Amino acid sequence: MFGHPISKRAFTQAAAAIAASAAMLPVMAQQAPIKIGLTTAVQLQVGRDTQDAARIAIDEVNAKGGVLGRKLSFVVADETENPETGINAIKKLTADEKVDVIVGGYTSGVTLAQLPHITSAKTIYLGVGAASPAITAKVKQDYETNKYIFRVGPINAAHQARSLTEWISGHLLGELGLKRIAIIGENAKWVQDLVPILRKGATEAGADVRFVELFDTSTSDFSPLLSKIRSSEAQFLVVILSHASSDVFAKQWYDARFPIPYGGIDVKSMDNDFFNRVGGKSISQLAANFAVRAPLTPKTQPFFDEFKKRTGRVPVYTAFGTYDAIHAYAQAVERAKSTDTNTVIKELEKTSMVGIAGQIEFDETHDVKAGGKFMNMLFVQWQANGERAVIWPKALRSGTMIMPPWLSK
Amino acid sequence: MLEIVIFGAVTSAIYAMLAVGFTLIFGVARILNLAHGSFYALGAYGAYVLTSIAGLPLVVATPLVVLGVALFGMGVERVLIRPMRKSQLAVLMISLAVALVVEQALFLIFGSEYRNVPSFVDTKLNIGGVDVAGQRLLTLVVAVAAIGALYAFIQRTRLGSAILAISQDPEAAQYMGIPSDRIFGVVMALSAGLAALAGIMAGPFLSVQPSMHLLPIVKAFAIVVVGGLGSIPGSIVAALMLGYAETLVAYGISTSWTEIVSVAATLLMLVLRPAGFFGKRAAF
Repeated sequence: MFGHPISKRAFTQAAAAIAASAAMLPVMAQQAPIKIGLTTAVQLQVGRDTQDAARIAIDEVNAKGGVLGRKLSFVVADETENPETGINAIKKLTADEKVDVIVGGYTSGVTLAQLPHITSAKTIYLGVGAASPAITAKVKQDYETNKYIFRVGPINAAHQARSLTEWISGHLLGELGLKRIAIIGENAKWVQDLVPILRKGATEAGADVRFVELFDTSTSDFSPLLSKIRSSEAQFLVVILSHASSDVFAKQWYDARFPIPYGGIDVKSMDNDFFNRVGGKSISQLAANFAVRAPLTPKTQPFFDEFKKRTGRVPVYTAFGTYDAIHAYAQAVERAKSTDTNTVIKELEKTSMVGIAGQIEFDETHDVKAGGKFMNMLFVQWQANGERAVIWPKALRSGTMIMPPWLSK
Repeated sequence: MLEIVIFGAVTSAIYAMLAVGFTLIFGVARILNLAHGSFYALGAYGAYVLTSIAGLPLVVATPLVVLGVALFGMGVERVLIRPMRKSQLAVLMISLAVALVVEQALFLIFGSEYRNVPSFVDTKLNIGGVDVAGQRLLTLVVAVAAIGALYAFIQRTRLGSAILAISQDPEAAQYMGIPSDRIFGVVMALSAGLAALAGIMAGPFLSVQPSMHLLPIVKAFAIVVVGGLGSIPGSIVAALMLGYAETLVAYGISTSWTEIVSVAATLLMLVLRPAGFFGKRAAF
């Protein structure tokens, strides 16, 4: 093709055609749907749920005639768990797809890497997966630059640490009278940040923290760790697990008929099929979750049922966030009577709507509010046959706490 | 103290099962097989499919899976490795490619979530005050039996002598009329079958997910470097050393330090004695 230079005439014609179609774009755009860009790790359940929840929310909005007479549509970009790929996903959504709003996120490291690219593209970003407080802290540091960033879910890591402490003091100490606790977690940045806060909070609440240790994320044998915990004479084991080791830990805890019950933050154990994936060995484990099929708000059960009907699965937290984020955005556009970014941001800041896990409102850092009528951290227990019961907070309790079968005899 | 003895032995046994096969195929055929961990993964996934999906009892599934993976190993050797055996680098690349293809295939078929392989025994034993899961002890027993059987096979049978002959002097062995290509296939099958067995035995208490092939290959590599690439007694001794070293570090220092042991041992050995403890010469 390099052998035949394009003739001047052909070039002029082509240029004229491109210019003409570009001139027509604004006219067409008025009829075009509002485009939502989803950025997520599509290989994982969090990613699949993000997409499925987006479909549900978009169908609901479109069934009512869309927003300002325009339908909603979405495109997906895979951000994986790798910051480089995450940045490319944002570039694809903003530069190529020219989306009106971005919804998504999972790994905090990826989201933090994406932020400069989101703000320089001046596109609204509604986070639904990453929990690092550093993400929304940017909004406070420099509002003008970072005002595009919102977090619809989950509640941030600092709120999570506070919820954990409340659970330890209220439930473990207050109700069960378990004073001696051990804390273990995988050796990751957010756990290193969280464990000292947790240790301090638990000690202040009156717990006797006997043992604290972080383990390598690729640990395959927990026997030494379990035996050290056992000799610390702890009565309850608090765990902070997210990525690698939940299943191995549950299996080895069960296989050894470990004489100490356990629970805490275990991201994999939020999945509805975790119980089956470990062959039922997570029995009696208490795992923090943001919503389960319980009457948390009028929207909770209908959403769970609709999701189950469409996908055959039970949604994880990114699904709640995505569903709420799309509705919050649609309502903000409706109130703003335009998709103009600055006007919509002002309206998003005024958001007060019923979400799946609680009332949705944003604080001054554009972070979703937590506690009370807002989103809470629920402590949910695995019971016989993979049933789940909310044990804490007490106000939302849906079942009685059980002990591991070998301890209850 | 007793805990360290027991848990160290179980860890060492799994490592030995992985490393012996890895070192065997290198010692005999000079194949540095980076797909060795994939055989381990296929063993675990095979057991998952046959028990959880096809509903077979584990006792029936195990020989089927070991046989299946052994045949797969043989196929990989016959179709992919044999044409490139002249170049060690090409073999290295093709085995890496096999490992990645298997990983991606598992991703596509099963997704990234963990799967559950049922245990043979679901009881807890108490040995001198130490709680040990029955499956772990069984793994120790099976590992000792499997490696013992392999050793006896190599030392006592005609085919075993042929394997030994090739590992000692491939050219002379060929002049004696030993069909080296066929022997390589057999050794690959043995190596793959042993790794698959390790996957089935360890699956119930370790992770079963698509990238599970990585850890075994790292450990097997560390062990054969320490023990001497190509030496079976060397890899057994090194597996024991590494298994116990990791257990000691986990007890004495912290669980977050265990994974550095194997890497440090590899580096140290390569600097101090590149041939390993039992290796006749440096393999690299």
